[in-house]
Amino acid sequence: MDQLSVNNNYLPDDGDETKVDLATFQYIVIRLGEEQYGIDIRYIENIIRMQHITRVPKVPSYLKGVINLRGEVIPVMSIRLKMGLPDDEYGRATRIIILKTEGEETMGILVDEVKEVVTLAENQIEKISHDSKSNKPMFLSGVGKHNDELISILDLNTVTIEDNEQ
Amino acid sequence: MDVSQYLEIFLDETNEHLQNLNTQILELEQNPEDSDTINEIFRAAHSLKGMAGTMGYKRMQNLTHDMENVFSEVRTGNIKVQPEMIDVLFQCLDALQEYTDNIKNSADEGTNDNEPLIRLLNDILNNKGTASAAPKAAEKESKKEGKSKKAAPAKAADSANDDAPWYKASYDESQINVLKEAVKQGKKVCALNVTVNEDCVLKAARAFLVLKAVEEKGEIAVSLPSTQDLEDEKFDNSFILIVITDNTLDDLVKAAENVSEIKSVEGGDFDPTKLAASAEETAEEEEPVKQEEVKEETSAAAAPTTAVAPAAKAAAPKAPEKKTGKPIVNRTVRVDIEKLDSLMNLVSELIIAKNSLVSASTGRSQNNTVFNEQIEYLESVTTNLHESVMKVRMVPIESTVNKFPRMIRDLQKTLGKKLELYMSGEETELDRTVVDEIGDPIMHLLRNSADHGIESAEVRAERGKPEAGSIYLDAYQDGNNVIIEVRDDGNGIDVEAVKNKAIERGTITADQAAQMTDKEIINLLFLPSFSTAKKVTDVSGRGVGLDVVKSKIEALSGEVEVKSQLGVGSTWTIRLPLTLAIIQALMVVVGGEKYAISLGSIQTIETIEKSSIKLVQNEEVINLRGMVIPLIRLNEVLENESHPADEDSSVVVIVKKGDKVAGLVIDELIGQQEIVIKSLGKYIKQVKFISGATILGDGEVALIIDVNALL
Repeated sequence: MDQLSVNNNYLPDDGDETKVDLATFQYIVIRLGEEQYGIDIRYIENIIRMQHITRVPKVPSYLKGVINLRGEVIPVMSIRLKMGLPDDEYGRATRIIILKTEGEETMGILVDEVKEVVTLAENQIEKISHDSKSNKPMFLSGVGKHNDELISILDLNTVTIEDNEQ
Repeated sequence: MDVSQYLEIFLDETNEHLQNLNTQILELEQNPEDSDTINEIFRAAHSLKGMAGTMGYKRMQNLTHDMENVFSEVRTGNIKVQPEMIDVLFQCLDALQEYTDNIKNSADEGTNDNEPLIRLLNDILNNKGTASAAPKAAEKESKKEGKSKKAAPAKAADSANDDAPWYKASYDESQINVLKEAVKQGKKVCALNVTVNEDCVLKAARAFLVLKAVEEKGEIAVSLPSTQDLEDEKFDNSFILIVITDNTLDDLVKAAENVSEIKSVEGGDFDPTKLAASAEETAEEEEPVKQEEVKEETSAAAAPTTAVAPAAKAAAPKAPEKKTGKPIVNRTVRVDIEKLDSLMNLVSELIIAKNSLVSASTGRSQNNTVFNEQIEYLESVTTNLHESVMKVRMVPIESTVNKFPRMIRDLQKTLGKKLELYMSGEETELDRTVVDEIGDPIMHLLRNSADHGIESAEVRAERGKPEAGSIYLDAYQDGNNVIIEVRDDGNGIDVEAVKNKAIERGTITADQAAQMTDKEIINLLFLPSFSTAKKVTDVSGRGVGLDVVKSKIEALSGEVEVKSQLGVGSTWTIRLPLTLAIIQALMVVVGGEKYAISLGSIQTIETIEKSSIKLVQNEEVINLRGMVIPLIRLNEVLENESHPADEDSSVVVIVKKGDKVAGLVIDELIGQQEIVIKSLGKYIKQVKFISGATILGDGEVALIIDVNALL
């Protein structure tokens, strides 16, 4: 975990020799449909290939069911459904990312593809202010820029929180 | 000395002693003259006092000390056991329990001195009649004498007896000279033979505490084996201390006896000249003894009474009364429950691995018999391993139910009713975690029986019942379940009263009530905040109780049921699964998905023709051998599409819960399998009829259907 976490001294792709140390964070870039999202690497336990998911009746639709991860039964969630996107279509690139949430619970989320690991400095991430007019929960904590591409940073706590209204 | 490392042992032992005292004092109340009981009480109180003292809990020590004084007087026959005294003693036990609880929570005994109790105890002591005028000191003296006589029956004779163990041990010349010198200077030389309990876990620690205690009273001139060996636990169960002291022998014996887990302390005056004489004697015997020793070197029973050659210094003398000791205690090891949990988890994984081997082997060609034989062998080994680990985790419910006789006795006083508690099956074993949790629910039920069940004496007389109400607590094993029954011969449940109460509370409407069976109405009692007691008492009737009982038992995957007959009595039945982790299950297919159903709740499996399914009140039922059984279509419950293998008939699993029966319609049977229950995790909110999941041999996850929730 430690070597994956914040790296204070090294800024990649950044040519200039600034002496100001900025906190940097590593993100795993995933694809959902056409959009790219970043997930803080510190929450990620494992990335596994798609496997059979056992459906559990009478649970919200975004809970896809449970899988066997080395002898443990782990729930799997679709962030697509959670975020109101069309349902997942499982393909060759589909992966299950195993997260350890703050409540020390392990769970998996389905993503269309895992692309790469990027390191973003604090100043490369733009915080998103909450839109008070919208009642929709905010799933993003910020937007990062990397090689001229935008990466939406997922706020895992909002994503993995249970929907109480369902 | 830092005693914190012994805190856990102290708490364990204290609880044991307190429980023992509770039981024994109850016994004493029944048989005030039974000297065995009195002795046992005295011993337990004495150990408690010693332990509290060693750990530095002065208040606890003071209280036990005064209790011990009373017991001592009872033992010598100076005080007769009276009911008031028993009451005081029980109050003392409660106070001690409070100290213990405080220590458990904060490692501190608290600040309650319990002076009123100590005064009461002293009153008992002073009012004993015969010696009431005698000054306290003398009283103590006589007590002490009486005690040491009992504790070490041989003691009186010891000083004159050359057979005392310390004369048989071997001493250095220098040691003998030191002792002779001390005697010449007119100092008192005493010998102690300390015997540690055979089942003592920390012998070295006990020995150390004895040394410490004795050193306060005098100078230890000789220790056999050496103090170093004692601290390294290089001794049998007993060791000898020769002490040069200004105190009396009794002081020394007492100091040593105060350390817990010390079985006995023999004391005597030590005369070095006798040693010389006996040493000569032993010298004569030396040769044959030595040869004998060579032969029996490894035998622990080597010549306990013959002298030990001077060269064999480390050999400790045998405890003289070893053979007359208490019944042999099973050799046990205390193990952290977490270690057992992880062992259990490993066994679970092994079973999963075995299951996947089994499923891999079935796909292979049939002719590989060696492979199949080995798989079968592996299966039997894992099953045995599982059973063994389960057994390790099992403890008798005794530890939990032992406190109930005392509770009933107290209830008798508070409720003013005569009650008798009959218990059976205390030796029934359950998983440790269950035993720890089951105490409260049983207690609620017993209190409930005592308070609501048993009628007042007048009513009982009117109904021709014996004056004392009987409450039975029975435990026994029934297949894969353990049944705990709380039964009383009291009033039973007044269904009409419950019904009226429920209507009054708005729990049900009058119309509903009219349609409900008696049983359904009785089950209303398990709803939160439902109490029919006409008045709220200390004991029960605040409406917290039965619903807590139910939820607690359900949390342990158990069930509770009640049968009652008005005027005759009620029976509460708690049914608990023997094991919580691994069960035998029937694997079935519903809508292409695999599910497990616990074998314990399955009665039979039937193939039912479509045509024999009838509709009664719009519900599907079948008539099976004269019994009308409602059907539950599992695919509807599980929200999936049924794909029966045969369109004209269905496979129906007949399941039962208590005396309720239903038929579960499934698509296909797979077979019986041993499964490991895994939780679905907190994230998936508990789905009512799914009790967990299991991992199949092919690595897939199958859900476990909780039949109890479906019926």
